[in-house]
Amino acid sequence: MTTPQERLRNFSIIAHIDHGKSTLADRLLEVTHTIDPRQMTSQVLDSMDLEREKGITIKARAVRLEYTSSAGLTYGLNLIDTPGHVDFTYEVSRSLQACEGAILVVDAAQGIEAQTLANVFLAMKLDLTIIPVINKIDLPSAQPDVVIEELENVLAIPREEVILASAKEGTGIDAILEAVVARIPPPKGDPKAPLRALVFDSYYDAYKGVVAYVRLEEGRLRSHDGLRLMASGAEFTPLEMGVFRPQLVPVRELVAGEVGYVATGLKSVRDAQVGDTITGASHPAAAPLPGYQAAKSLVFAGIYPISGEDYPLLRDALEKLHLNDASFSFEPESSVALGFGFRCGFLGLLHMEIVQERLEREFALDLIASAPSVEYRVRLVHDGEVLVVDNPSLFPSSGEIEEIEEPWVALSVVTPATYIGTVMDLTRIRRGTFESMEYLDPTRVLMKFEIPLAELIVDYFDQLKSRTQGYASMDYEEIGYRPARLAKLDVLVNGEPVDALSLIVHREEAQAIGRRLAAKLKELIPRQMFEVPIQAAVGSQVVARETVRAMRKNVLAKCYGGDITRKRKLLEKQKEGKQRMKRVGSVEIPQEAFLAVLGMGEE
Amino acid sequence: MTDRAAPPVALYVHVPFCVSLCPYCDFVVHAGAAARGPRARVDAYVAALLTEIDLRADALDTRFGPPLEPGAPAGRARPALATVYIGGGTPSLLPAVTVGALLDRVRSRFGVAPGAEVTLEVNPGVDDRGDLAGFVAAGVTRVSIGAQSLVSSELRRLGRRHAPGDVGVTVETARRAGAASISLDLLYDVPGQTPASWEGTLRAALALEPDHLSLYALTLDDPEAEGLAGDLGDHLPTTAGARRWRTNARRDQDEDAAAAAYERACDVLAEAGFRRYEISNWARPGHESRHNMAYWERRPHEAVGTGAHAFDGHVRRWNAAALGPYVAALAPAAGSGLEPVLPPGGSEALDEMTALREAAILGLRTDRGLTAEAVAAGPAADALRWAIDHGLAAVGEDGRVRLTRGGALLSNEVFRRIV
Repeated sequence: MTTPQERLRNFSIIAHIDHGKSTLADRLLEVTHTIDPRQMTSQVLDSMDLEREKGITIKARAVRLEYTSSAGLTYGLNLIDTPGHVDFTYEVSRSLQACEGAILVVDAAQGIEAQTLANVFLAMKLDLTIIPVINKIDLPSAQPDVVIEELENVLAIPREEVILASAKEGTGIDAILEAVVARIPPPKGDPKAPLRALVFDSYYDAYKGVVAYVRLEEGRLRSHDGLRLMASGAEFTPLEMGVFRPQLVPVRELVAGEVGYVATGLKSVRDAQVGDTITGASHPAAAPLPGYQAAKSLVFAGIYPISGEDYPLLRDALEKLHLNDASFSFEPESSVALGFGFRCGFLGLLHMEIVQERLEREFALDLIASAPSVEYRVRLVHDGEVLVVDNPSLFPSSGEIEEIEEPWVALSVVTPATYIGTVMDLTRIRRGTFESMEYLDPTRVLMKFEIPLAELIVDYFDQLKSRTQGYASMDYEEIGYRPARLAKLDVLVNGEPVDALSLIVHREEAQAIGRRLAAKLKELIPRQMFEVPIQAAVGSQVVARETVRAMRKNVLAKCYGGDITRKRKLLEKQKEGKQRMKRVGSVEIPQEAFLAVLGMGEE
Repeated sequence: MTDRAAPPVALYVHVPFCVSLCPYCDFVVHAGAAARGPRARVDAYVAALLTEIDLRADALDTRFGPPLEPGAPAGRARPALATVYIGGGTPSLLPAVTVGALLDRVRSRFGVAPGAEVTLEVNPGVDDRGDLAGFVAAGVTRVSIGAQSLVSSELRRLGRRHAPGDVGVTVETARRAGAASISLDLLYDVPGQTPASWEGTLRAALALEPDHLSLYALTLDDPEAEGLAGDLGDHLPTTAGARRWRTNARRDQDEDAAAAAYERACDVLAEAGFRRYEISNWARPGHESRHNMAYWERRPHEAVGTGAHAFDGHVRRWNAAALGPYVAALAPAAGSGLEPVLPPGGSEALDEMTALREAAILGLRTDRGLTAEAVAAGPAADALRWAIDHGLAAVGEDGRVRLTRGGALLSNEVFRRIV
């Protein structure tokens, strides 16, 4: 089944959440008979439970389609599926680098969204051929003309290139496939040159070792060749290589331009990192391919096992998960309140949530996470040394601090024009500054702001969605550090400081936030057997105080025949619930309390 | 494991019909057309119930031999029942003759000991309190009246159809009919209840001179969320209306007020000569519910009817709550050629540890408490040490460990440390 290089096409699909990427991918698989119709489910490529539940793609995936064009020629199409959330731009850029083209899917009723724009610009920068598709033209609210206009105005896409489709009803699918073979150039690269294959993703398999997803730029990959990873220096003989249909199907050889996988047998993903180049051990290439920028963590939080003895299990789980998702970082830390755990860095809040959920589900762990923080730069008074602090509880005391800097981002928001004021207010109260505004079409605008990342990660995205009834979308990129007037707010529960509840706030807002935080904690900390005071303090100055009153009543009134079993089960459940709490001193604090600091920046 | 099993000393009979549903009630109940009128399922249900009594008795005959003649000395063999409890629902909706037929069947198949306690639950409403004289004549000795409150506004909020005055009439009628023991159920932590209205309910209830009082904190759970409303579950699904009602009512409940109401009741009832013999139950001496004591002392009991729970000393067994499958199993359509069989349900064998924990929890619910030896050796030892340290339990002069009044209010804190 070797396909000549000129009949290979490597492409991605760029789309906003819910604009129909997964449905389109499903349709392409169906039309090309890649999947037995009896095994067809929806969202075929999203195999993780979490992905199906959340309706999003988290991990990039690849699939090989065989397509016979109207001219009667059979092509090998490699579709590299990409995540569609702002947190995963990093994964998107990796996938795009393995392609020569991209299908841009835009919802006929919604139009272009902020993040689609960002990804299209990324694709254009990489010189990819864009195939614009307006999807969901079957919807009564579809306005393909308006969207065509938008594509023309904002992305300079000629209207005659646009394909109208409904992935749901199957219209336009053939036109898309024809465009893929006609417009996207075949991969270049000399099959006779020494092998250079870029690792664009990898995961660990207990039987096959590290399985690397590769794009061959030059040369051939054969099963009996000794291979080497150019950066790590690790050598191996492949156990298996193949293509994605979408399950792994072994082939004897992969040639320049192909996308496929290699089972390396290597035991550590560090030996076959994403971005490394695979070459032949005996005839190595002179230089590796340009790799990827390492993923940069923007959001940091502590992750702790609910019960301390699970710490080694958590460490193993993090190591294993890291093999599959190299974009988060972790290192051991300890907290007075939470015991031993790990400081983890994430691409964003959704990424953090997903990592925590995967750890809990795939490794059966009960975890507690501290509130997310950004990375601050703190310059000290006495020697001008600059500390990088991503954990509020490790902040030096205010007397030692000369200056604090915090990361800022450039934020793009696409919204219906009716919400301009709403978005402006939402961003301003979070210390954002307005930069510019541009009309995409008569009813929708692209707004640009600069805002401290710390203000963004709290719950900006949720607020933006709820205040614009789901219509606005956003994207952001870092623009460096700026000085800030910040202070550390500490929380004392029953007189004891709870380090995991400390947070960094703007100095002028410390008291107001302290009050709201204390009030919120009062709601979240269940009544205990005794009265529990909650205090918020800046340095030694208490700025707010609340009290959780002692528990008065916890009784099951009736206990007759059928109640006995029921009551026992309820008590067992209550007991489990308690086990999901953290004991700080003699007070049981639920997970939600540690996240209470989210959303404190605002009334 | 059969060595732990023993024949029943008590029987529970469930009657799942009410004139209307109360939105806070979790019991297995059907109302409206199923309960009254031409399409009522009551007759079919009673026929099924009689058959279940037979089938359960057949099984016990095989397992333990036939019941001893009433009055015969109880030995290893199967004793006559010491208590029968007909609960619901509203069993007082049944004609007296039907109650009589049920009790006759119970007497002939299980035996009922002389002096046995035979309880019938009665709703105080004009149209559902039923023929009290007829019930007593049929063998009922104890009447348990679902009064809930003696304040009109609270009764309305609870969706009850009776008026406070109906409770007095029902007590009076039962008394005149010769019921040996009369109990009232009352609720606190009811939305809209005040300390004064609760005091009023307590005083008005005492003025009726009942023998027994059950005081329940209004508990608004969702059996469905607990996974109890499946095909073989012992609860019916909660209706959307009831769920909404509970969500609203929960907002008006108050932990501190509830605790105060309980403590006030403890004082008022003690003064009136009632002994609190279980967390939620008070009685004048000699009027403790013997049937309920059998539950708390984990004595074996049989049970018939939808959603009913039985215990043989080792296995807890229940019938599924659904009415249709229950009747279909026990009373197959004539001409179908099917034999009646036991209805669908579930069971759970208790391992020794679970049994000990259960015994500790149930023992602590009553004022008999636990013996020091039972505590020291059992799985409750740590929990009780904690409870004593926190003033929730105390060791009496007789060496037995009991919950204190504060401990009763926080009993789940103690119990969850035991399970």
